[in-house]
Parts: sequence; C-alpha cells; structure tokens
Amino acid sequence: MNDFAKVPGYVSTTEAYGETTVVVDRGSIREACTFARDELGFTMLSDLVATDYLEWAEKGVSGYIGTAAGRDLNMPMTQGLQALPDAKPARFSLSYHLLALRQGAPRLRLQCWLEDGETVDSVVTVWPAADWLEREQFDLMGIRFDGHPNLVRLLMDDDWEGHPLRKDYPLGGEPVRFSSAE
Amino acid sequence: MTATLPHVGRARRWPMVGDPIYEGSRIPTRVPTIVDVPAALRETDDVLQVNFGPNHPSTHGVLRLIVDLDGEQVVGLSAVIGYLHTGFEKNMEQKTWWKAITYPERIDYVGYQNNELVFVLAIEKLLELEVPEKATWMRMLMCELNRIHSHLVFLGTSALELGAISMFWYCFRERETILDLFELVAGQRMHTRYFQAGGLAEDIPAGFYPEARSFVERMPHALDDYLTLLDRNKIWLERTQGVGLLSADDAIALGQSGPVLRASGVDWDLRRDAPYLAYDQVDFRVPVYNGGDVYDRYRVRMDEMAESTQIVRQCIDRLERMEGEPWIADDRKVVLPPREELHTSMESLIHHFKIVTEGYRVPAGEIYVAIESPRGESGCYVVSDGGPRPWRVHFRAPSFAALQATATCAQGSLIADLIAIVGSLDAVMGDTDR
Amino acid sequence: MADAKTTRLRDYGLQSERLLWPTKGPSKFEEELGVEELEQALGITTLDKAVRWAQTKSMWPDTFGLACCAIEMMSIVGSRYDLARFGMEAFRSSPRQADLLIVSGRVAHKMAAPLRQIYDQMLEPKWVIAMGACASSGGMFNNYAILQGVDRIVPVDIYIPFCPPRPEALMEGIIRLHEAHLAGIPPAYERKEVAT
Repeated sequence: MNDFAKVPGYVSTTEAYGETTVVVDRGSIREACTFARDELGFTMLSDLVATDYLEWAEKGVSGYIGTAAGRDLNMPMTQGLQALPDAKPARFSLSYHLLALRQGAPRLRLQCWLEDGETVDSVVTVWPAADWLEREQFDLMGIRFDGHPNLVRLLMDDDWEGHPLRKDYPLGGEPVRFSSAE
Repeated sequence: MTATLPHVGRARRWPMVGDPIYEGSRIPTRVPTIVDVPAALRETDDVLQVNFGPNHPSTHGVLRLIVDLDGEQVVGLSAVIGYLHTGFEKNMEQKTWWKAITYPERIDYVGYQNNELVFVLAIEKLLELEVPEKATWMRMLMCELNRIHSHLVFLGTSALELGAISMFWYCFRERETILDLFELVAGQRMHTRYFQAGGLAEDIPAGFYPEARSFVERMPHALDDYLTLLDRNKIWLERTQGVGLLSADDAIALGQSGPVLRASGVDWDLRRDAPYLAYDQVDFRVPVYNGGDVYDRYRVRMDEMAESTQIVRQCIDRLERMEGEPWIADDRKVVLPPREELHTSMESLIHHFKIVTEGYRVPAGEIYVAIESPRGESGCYVVSDGGPRPWRVHFRAPSFAALQATATCAQGSLIADLIAIVGSLDAVMGDTDR
Repeated sequence: MADAKTTRLRDYGLQSERLLWPTKGPSKFEEELGVEELEQALGITTLDKAVRWAQTKSMWPDTFGLACCAIEMMSIVGSRYDLARFGMEAFRSSPRQADLLIVSGRVAHKMAAPLRQIYDQMLEPKWVIAMGACASSGGMFNNYAILQGVDRIVPVDIYIPFCPPRPEALMEGIIRLHEAHLAGIPPAYERKEVAT
C-alpha cells in the first residue's frame, strides 16, 4: 500500500493472504497507533490480540516430528514434511487489527513483539475501544499495559492466579479416559 | 463514511486520561467504560448503589451492572463481565481443525452460523481452498436466515424487557419457522455445524426450497405485524426515542459496528464494503439512521430483517438453478471422501482415516477474517503452525465492543432507560465473554 | 460421592426410571409397585397426594438462563411448545418466588457463586433441572473455566442431555420431574448431597 516506513518505530512489513502486517518497535507503539489513526486514516480498532509463541520452534509442534537438521524420509508418520517453523523474535506478539472506514475497507495489522514481563504503552487515549481489549489480554495473557487507567482482571475471577491462555498454563477441567487433548 | 477523529494525537502533548478524546466527545474521560459518580454527590446520602446482578429478569444473559442511582437517575455505572467465560480459545487449541468448528457456534449463541462461517472462512483462506458456488450461496442463505433469527430474538426480548410482552410470542412464532428450516437442512435447530472447511457438510435436502419460499412469502406480513404493534405505539416511542444517544465519532472511537454504528449515522456494512461470500452479487440496501438512539437501533434491525428476506429470496432463486452441483470442494487432503468410495478405493479409506484421526494440516501463517454478523463485525484471528491443530484462535466479539459503549450511552439516563439501552446494544454474553 | 446419604430411586423399590405421559390409569411407577403398595412404601397420604398434585401443576421456574440453552428455554415459552399448559409460563425473576431452577447453559466458575446463592435463596420445596450437556457435566468444555457439571454445587433432580436440548426434550424432563414428584420421590436436596 502506501509507504509504511514512515510509521514511528517501523521494523518491517509483510504481505500475506491479502493482508499487511507492519511490525513496529515495542517502545513506540503508541506513536505508531496515533500515526495510523491520524495520518493513515485507520480510525477503528477492530481487535487487539496477544499470541504466546512459547516453544514455537523448539519441539515438534502439533504432530510435527521436526528436526533442525532436515528431512528424514524414514521417519514414520511425517509424510516427509519435517520442518520446524521459523523462530519468532520474542515470546509474545501483540497484534492491533485496524480498519479504515473508507472504500475498499483497508485493514492493517500493527504488530509488536515482547518478552514475558515487558510492558507496552496503552492505547486507550488513541482508541477508547482498547480499554476492555487490553484488560482482556492482561487477564488472559499477562501482558501489562502502561498508562491504562483500570488494568484489572476482566473475564476471570478477581482473585484468579495465573494467566489462562498462556501455553504453560494447563487446560484444566477433569481427567477423562479418552480425549484427544495431549 | 469519511468520519475522522480530530487530530488530537498530533498535539504537542499526549491526551492524558482525564481529557476528552476529542472535543464534544461523550465518552467518560477517566475510564472509557465507567461512569464515575460526580464529585458533588459522592459523600452525600443521596446515592444508592444497586447491583444488577448476573441473574436478572432481563433476558440478555449474565451481565452484571453496578449502578449508582440518585433517585431514578443513573449517576454511576460500571459493567462486570466474565460470568460466562468459557475458555473457547484455549479449548480450540487442543482440537483438530475439523473438530474445532463446533466451538465457535456456541460463542454467539443467537447468531451461531456467523461464528461458524468466520472460522471456516479463516481456515479456507489459509488453505487457499476454492469453495464451490453452491456452497457459497447456501452459506449466504443460512447466514441471512440467522440474521433474521437474531433480530427476532432481539426484538422479542427487548420488547419484553420494556413491557411490550406480547411481542415475544409474535417474534418467536416466526423464529420457530426459521428453526424448522435449519432443522430441515442440518438436522438440528441451533448450532447446526453445517459449514465445513471447503463447503457444506451435506447437500441441500429435497423439499427445502418450497419451505424456504413459503417463509419468505410470510415474513413481510409478519414484519408488518410487528411494526403495527410497536411503531405507532406511543409508549414504545416515548421509551425509545431520545434515549441512549451515541454520536458517530464516539461510535467509531469505541469500535462499534453493525446496527449500533449504522444507527449513529455511519454508513458502514461489511457485506457491501468488504464483500465476502457472494454479497456483491445480490441486491440489498443498508439502512442507516442518524439519531443514534434506541429507536434508531430498533429501526435499523427491523429494516435489516426486511432486507435479509430479500437476500434469502435471491439466494433461493439462484440455488434452485444449481441442482446437482458439488457442495464441497474437491481437495481430498482436506475434505472427507464420499462414503460410497470408502468401499472401493484404498486411497479414500486412508485419507478418511487420516483426516478424521490426525486432521488435515493448515499451512503456517496468521490471518484475520471479519464478517458482518447480526451484532456487528465478527472476526476471527487464526495463527497456524502448519500442523493439524490451531496454535491460536481469537474471536473479535461485536458484543464485547457494544458493552463498552454502555457507559457512554447511559450517561444522564434513568434506570428504566438503562434497560432499553442495554437491550438495544444487543449484546450476547457468550459472545462477550467467550 | 456420599454413600450413606445418597438414595437412588431404586432404593424406593422402583425398577425403572422411565416415565410415560400421564394417562388416565396409574403411572409406570405405580404399575410396578401396585397402587396401594406405593402409598404404603412411601408413606403418602391422600392429603399429601393432593398437595403434590397442586405443586406439580404450578411449579414456577426461575429466570436462570445462562447461554444457548436459555434460547431454547425461551422458545419453550413460545406458542409452539407451550409451557403454559403445564402452568409454568410464569418465570419468576426473584428466586424467593420460584420453585424450579432450570440451569440452562454453561456455568463458569465465576458464576458458580451466584448460582449457589440463588439456589439458597429459593424456598423449599425446590427442584433443580440441569438442562443441557454443559450444566449436566461440563459438556464439550472440559477446561479451566467451566464447572464440570452443576451437580458439583447444587443437588440436581433431572439431567437433560443434548446441546442444546430440543424444547420437547426439556418438556419431557419437566414432565418426568412432575411424575416423580407425584409418585412421592422427595426433591434432590433430601436424597443426595452435592457430588464432589
């Protein structure tokens, strides 16, 4: 699209499946969001998602029996498809899905990467819609947002311990005899 | 459609929490979703805090509102959600792609086909799978029927909450016909699980088209009934007009979409502006009203029901000409083979076994797909690692955004208006809490 | 599971749990035991039977709709599956005025405390129907957030499977409850403790 290189804290752009993902530096996310809202016209924040990439490139994920060394045709049940996914820059990715209310409905994903314990500036002053979205990500993923006026748990109980959607948090429930969950 | 926010961020300083987001905004300044009791009233005895607990007579589910009242006036409001948090996203990470499709339906349990659709569209986009035309049109038909169904539930329950109790039975009469159609097609009234990655689970059964046509003939008369009962009813008009105002800029800033946004004057509909399925091949109007109050949201939904009936009619016309065409994609790595082939072909048997037990693999990548559900923009963010299970699934819930607007809409209203406002925002708690 | 306190229906001498639509004659329970024996076995007097009949004919539910099953519960009040013919269309909002708690939908852990509070606020005799798979056993949500069966916090009389149950299924559950009550079975809080 237009030159995203002007976005403050710009790191890279990726285009895939008809979508544009702009990776920005964690420290300048608020400036980047303001730039996107005012200069680029993305006036609506659709969604704010955090993804936990713990152990993404380390073990065979979800059925893959991958090795960094490469293919082994003799490895059973792999159909020869053995490639570990590319390593990610950090443990958590935070994606801001933006929408511009004009012809063609252009969308943009602003993404920043952070490790466990690092914080991100809150964008409540840019889009008030981020209030509950950031609270939800704090509740479920444990990412703290600096400058959020009311960062308390939203969906879980107030005294819940742990952040359920992290990969090292167990699924819970009760043990059943036959289950496809690993 | 060119609503833009004034350039607050370009100012020399950041707008601190405590400043309005722009001049003329009615969004509460300290926390956008909490109305604080004014300082003058805080220490007095005049303010009564009432808990609209998770279990209350209003039928929109387990929403808890902590309301501060000065007489009948609402002076403070905060919403507590999470009483229906189900952990969909974590559960879906453990299921294969095929088995996970049953989960999104239960998120927005009134507009269930739309959640299914958005998840299935996300999988198909990552797989780059081509869906046959018959499946596309049938999906559109089911989603539009579901839109009518959802608006009927909205109308019946919000009229019930405001005291127009007999509307409930009128709306549910038509709703039963729609559920009959769903049962005819998919075998179950709700949570049909009819969409599959690649198309539909089964062919459209014989006898569906006459039934659907008779519903389409009947629906406009039913809509006339509803309008007669409500639209010229003085009490209804008094209770809904001028109540719960939300301006266009506030609506955009709060991330609203769907009928709430269109009732505030913003002409935005994803079916027309970012067409998915075959919405660019059907004629329909998008109702937009400028008042931003409860009455306009009700009118938008009534008009949408009429438009959806027209879309359903056009879909039936088109589908009747597609008799005998395939209803699911041909890619055998993803789609189950037909059962007759299992007796004769070894490859079909092996593929069937692998797809059912291990699951098909979706290439690595991340994607965000959004559709226009009856509540607004419903989106699905999927991250795949290339394996048979999703790595991360997140659903963008329109009801979540709509409830954030409660504080803005409810400022200065009476407690009776609060019921009307929350009903008009049409929030389904399953969608909000996920 | 408490062994001493939980009494099953077979402890009353009843072989089958299958109840049929009420007919002019004796019900299935009564057929199995013989009419006079049932009364003697359970110690029911004529006044008791009359009171039970009255309780059955106007057992008012509480508005406790949680999720998808609530939508099917609403449609049972609609005109096609009419609940008013059983005298139950008056869904009371206040638990103090309600007899029957139809837990319809998945119960999150956050909601479990209000659920128990509502149950405690109901006056005896009170019954609980666990409607749907999620209320009966946690359903398809075997995870950190959902209570695995509402019988972990309240004693349940009738479990209705399916996801969501058809309105006819819910009606069958309600009618079984009526028949069980007519036959003299005490409500669940007298028969069993909460499952652990």
